[in-house]
Amino acid sequence: MSQLATDEPAPVAPAGPQVGADEWVARQAQRREYLPSWLGGTERLVEKVGWWPRLGLAAAAGLVLPLLHVGQFQLQVGIDSLVLALLALGLNVTVGWAGLLDLGYVAFFGFGAYGFALVSSDQLSAQGVHWPAYFSIPVVVVATGLLGLLVGLPSRRLSGDYLAIITLFFGEAFYEITNTVASSKLGGEDGIVGIDPIRGFGVQLLSTEQYYYLMVIFVVGAMIVLRLLEFSRTGRSWRAIRDDPLAASAMTISVDKVKLMAFAFGAMVAGLAGTEFAAQQVSIAPTDFTTQYLIMIYACLILGGAGSIGGAVAGALVLNVVLDGILRNPTYTGYLFYGLIVIALLVKLRPWRRLALVAGSTIVFGYALHAIAAAISHSWVSGSLQSGGWIASALRGWVIVPASATGPGDWGFVLLICMLIALAQVHGRTRTLLLVPTIYLAAFTWETLLGTPTNASITRYIIIAVVLIVMMIARPQGLLGTRRVEVPT
Amino acid sequence: MSFFLQELVNGVTTGALYALIALGFSMVYGVLKLLNFAHGDLYMVGGYIGFFIIRWFGGAAKLFIPVPLLVTIMFVAAAVVVGGLGVAMERFAYRPLRNAPRIAPLITAIGISFFLENAALLLFGAQYRVYNTPDFISYSSGIQIGSVSIDSVQIMVLVMGLFIMIGLQQLINRTKLGKQMRAVAADREAAEMFGINVNFTIAAVFFLGSALAGVAGVMAGLLFNTVYNTIGFLAGLKAFTAAVVGGIGSIPGAMLGGLMIGIAESFITGYISSIYVDLIVFGILIVVMLVRPTGLLGRAQLQKV
Amino acid sequence: MLLSLDKVTTYYGQMRILEGISLQVGEGELVCLLGGNASGKSTTLKTVLGVVTPRSGRVLLDDKDVTGWPVPQRIARGIAIVPENRRLFGQMTVRENLEMGAVLRHREKLDDDFDRVHALFPRLLERRNQLAGTLSGGEQQMVAMGRALMSRPRLLLMDEPSMGLSPALVQQNFQIISEVHQSGVAVLVVEQNAAMALSIADRGYVLSTGEIVLTGSAAELLRSEDLKRAYLGR
Repeated sequence: MSQLATDEPAPVAPAGPQVGADEWVARQAQRREYLPSWLGGTERLVEKVGWWPRLGLAAAAGLVLPLLHVGQFQLQVGIDSLVLALLALGLNVTVGWAGLLDLGYVAFFGFGAYGFALVSSDQLSAQGVHWPAYFSIPVVVVATGLLGLLVGLPSRRLSGDYLAIITLFFGEAFYEITNTVASSKLGGEDGIVGIDPIRGFGVQLLSTEQYYYLMVIFVVGAMIVLRLLEFSRTGRSWRAIRDDPLAASAMTISVDKVKLMAFAFGAMVAGLAGTEFAAQQVSIAPTDFTTQYLIMIYACLILGGAGSIGGAVAGALVLNVVLDGILRNPTYTGYLFYGLIVIALLVKLRPWRRLALVAGSTIVFGYALHAIAAAISHSWVSGSLQSGGWIASALRGWVIVPASATGPGDWGFVLLICMLIALAQVHGRTRTLLLVPTIYLAAFTWETLLGTPTNASITRYIIIAVVLIVMMIARPQGLLGTRRVEVPT
Repeated sequence: MSFFLQELVNGVTTGALYALIALGFSMVYGVLKLLNFAHGDLYMVGGYIGFFIIRWFGGAAKLFIPVPLLVTIMFVAAAVVVGGLGVAMERFAYRPLRNAPRIAPLITAIGISFFLENAALLLFGAQYRVYNTPDFISYSSGIQIGSVSIDSVQIMVLVMGLFIMIGLQQLINRTKLGKQMRAVAADREAAEMFGINVNFTIAAVFFLGSALAGVAGVMAGLLFNTVYNTIGFLAGLKAFTAAVVGGIGSIPGAMLGGLMIGIAESFITGYISSIYVDLIVFGILIVVMLVRPTGLLGRAQLQKV
Repeated sequence: MLLSLDKVTTYYGQMRILEGISLQVGEGELVCLLGGNASGKSTTLKTVLGVVTPRSGRVLLDDKDVTGWPVPQRIARGIAIVPENRRLFGQMTVRENLEMGAVLRHREKLDDDFDRVHALFPRLLERRNQLAGTLSGGEQQMVAMGRALMSRPRLLLMDEPSMGLSPALVQQNFQIISEVHQSGVAVLVVEQNAAMALSIADRGYVLSTGEIVLTGSAAELLRSEDLKRAYLGR
């Protein structure tokens, strides 16, 4: 539209609506509603700051981080997060831009890792194959791209849903091939061990710091390339086929070719991530490339905002730092869990009177319930809290923790899910009323079931799942994406 | 020959199971055009419900109620609870996304599937739960034709499967609710414009479809004896394949597809090796999709331009 | 007044589609709502029917505020729609399609309704067991009209009856609308084909970018210079 408009002298903005003038497009911006108060202001501000300055700041922050005397563990979390960020960036091409639901994406990551491992270890023959990295990485990345083309072939005939199943099967097939079918060649469930580090030109990357810097460079590099691609002809074609393949083909976009390119591009980025992963981990196994990890990558992309480069990276960093960096420590976990509840209440509950009412009732409710339970039987309240630090002292005497917590914890969890679903259905006063026992039940379930060290890894997965579900409902555009509005008239 | 026939019987039974899962999956696809990735996990929940009911009534070896009553309770409970779970799922997660871009509910479905799998792990543990079916339904209680034996669980699965499918077909073609389901499936907005309660109709579809998955879960527990938290994933994938091979949205199609996948699987395991089962089923899917994307009994959708 | 919209404003997501729309349809009147693409015509009809809920303003039926009411209750009060592009349930038979128009009516009265619609469109009786998607365009239009009339509406909403039809069929279609109107049913027609709509209408409104910019009797509107320039190509 705007292309056409520039051919004519700039139209004088009409004072009011005119009969027959198609000014809908021209006045679209005025008709957009921003969020209320300061949130809307932030929305406008972020829209104003350029993309490149933001990337520069983020890159600088990433490079400076190791100078702050962080430990090996923190750096490792950083590397894992950056690998995820790279994967999310690649997935963003296929899913976020081209709108092709690729559920076998993790296999490209696995293919890159296995490809690199095979040509950088003793797996293939007794004396081994040991290519230098400057040779092996490009070869593996290109090979992954070709595999992407191959997997993308059905996308020419099949629309979204069918494609999702085919690719899901492809991911499963990859797992089965590495795990059982070709176990003699690929090491079966033990995978491949003794993978060379990245080396070439007489340099060898060995320390965690070096890999960290390498990953920062790769991620920033990928972001730059993808940014340039996003507004290129190809990038525009991707978004065009996502929004309307029929219209796109009418605009002489070769839909098939563009789809295949999206697949190949996404696969190449995943392959690159795979090579770094293999080199840094030294050993890889089929369980590194399961559907679980695929869902983690999706969660990152959705959290950050599908379709947004910055979003993909931010989502990966936030989610992985939270899950790996914070959830390993029960005290931090407690801070995070209760912190999120408090923040959610602060943001969502208005007016203040209502907030105070809910908070007050919750406190009273808890102490009352605890007192009743203690009066009935001591064993109902004699369990130990999972949270440490000042949270534990704050919760003691408020939340009930039975001596044998497993059974009640299970029921608490089921009840909590029911309560949350109920909470989403009711409105007004009932909701406020229901909020009090729900908050209490959440604390109870956390202290008896979710927060326990034995359940840490399951809790982690449950959080990923909840992030996916809740984000799609509450903010499908993610943290940094812009919402696509379809306007039927 | 008898090996062939035995494998055929086993294949048809497994196929009936896949068909039941595929039916619910296909129905949901029909009304919402949504691939409900969480459907297989509903089947898993059904399996667990059956297991816990056996345990509540004394355990497989020491049941204190008659077996027919136990089996009835298992099926009814699984149907009701899993059906309810399906409705809750739709209400909470899918309804807000009715008008979202196509990809959004798919991602939600993956999230729900992941949630259910891990919630089951959290609540029921990672160990295999064993039904011990032979302790209360003897393997020898079935029919013996020559060297081919069909045990009573298999007979039950086949008979129930047949009745459910006929009943469903009648429901959809003859009843007012069935017609409304078809109207909603054809054009949700138009259906709404004529006062059809779209939310209720979709909820009903979810209830029926999920209940079928729950019933299939109990059947699977009785047939294969074990339940664990990830059985839903592969079963779900097979059911997708069955639905797609038969023609998604078509009830006879889901039946046919389920039987085909079940028989194929049984023969591959019997004559080749169980290692290749999933790869070959996958191959069948690819071939069908590329040769006939609408499935064997599906009708081509006209695309409005 | 049978129907009145009072300063209705409607949003889709963050986009404002209707901006303070006010219009009236009296008992037995034929009113047309004209407007170009994306002017908010269909949204207006959906707001009347209750498929879309306005952000502000009121929808009144028989001077009763029905703004928050769900669709079935409004249909029960006598509204029915013939949607844009007919929107038949293609894989269902003609009879089943008509039945869907009367989901809210009692089973005993159904035969009556069928008789009435069959009297108006005898062709539909012949074709009752044929799939609606296999009918010709004209017959499909009859099914769409019949489906709407099954619920005995007092106000019929017509969304672009001329869209996608040949000139002969458009003529025939407006003939049918006229007949239905003469039988005492009030009609609100949304159209881009201004000349055709105004030829049968009593009054009209012109919608542009979500706002009503012109209103008057059909004769007045036909004389309006603005309208001529924009829609009649003169």
